[in-house]
Amino acid sequence: MSDIAPEQARTALDAADRARRQVAEEVGLPRGYWWAMAAGWLLLGVLGNVLPPWPAGIATVGFGVGHGVLASRLLDGRRRTDRLRVSAAVAGRRVPLVVVGMLLGLIGVTVPVALALDADGAGHAGIWAAALTAAVVGFGGPEILRVLRRWVRA
Amino acid sequence: MTKARFDELIHPSTRLSLVATLAAADWAEFAFLRDRLQLSDSALSKQLTTLEEAGYVATERRLSGSRRKVRARLTSTGRDAFNGHIAALRAIVADATAPPQEPPV
Repeated sequence: MSDIAPEQARTALDAADRARRQVAEEVGLPRGYWWAMAAGWLLLGVLGNVLPPWPAGIATVGFGVGHGVLASRLLDGRRRTDRLRVSAAVAGRRVPLVVVGMLLGLIGVTVPVALALDADGAGHAGIWAAALTAAVVGFGGPEILRVLRRWVRA
Repeated sequence: MTKARFDELIHPSTRLSLVATLAAADWAEFAFLRDRLQLSDSALSKQLTTLEEAGYVATERRLSGSRRKVRARLTSTGRDAFNGHIAALRAIVADATAPPQEPPV
């Protein structure tokens, strides 16, 4: 064992911890994911408005399945950038649950907004509600996910 | 459980931060490490070479479009050394904070 002082050891541990936290801050999803999600959200809003209920329902289910297939590799949050891949130990296993929970929460926002706009007599209420949520997802998706991760310590 | 082993090669602050960053990732690109650790290209190259020669780090050159990129990752030897070093540092801190033992009467 080296004869370094405890204070030096503590400083070294702090430096190692800081480096780990910097990598942990890289956990997230690529920017393109959020814009694709926003575009999909808007598209579903439009389809829900112009199609009869059953094809719109099929489109929604198709979107959910497509998301599950295409984004499954991204949902672990380890591939936000192509500059590094965060280790599984640092990313944890709860990021996919947080993302899915966030999307369900956004559905929970879209539907009441659409109903409120419709009750207010707005035309194309579903499209406006979807556009609002799409803007929130596209511009604020990474930040919302970051806050949610902090809340649930994921 | 990781065996505590102080590692003189890892301990210098820049190298410790570099190894700790790589320990938290599967791999990292040269540019990411350079930006995060605020090192010049040559300084980072030197640190990576030292660690690579010790068998702690492996680097890989990849062609991305027309640019050549370097990825670095910690080897299992490097990961064991890092974990052992962290355990040794924790032991030093723990020894210092432990209450002094009563001398036998």
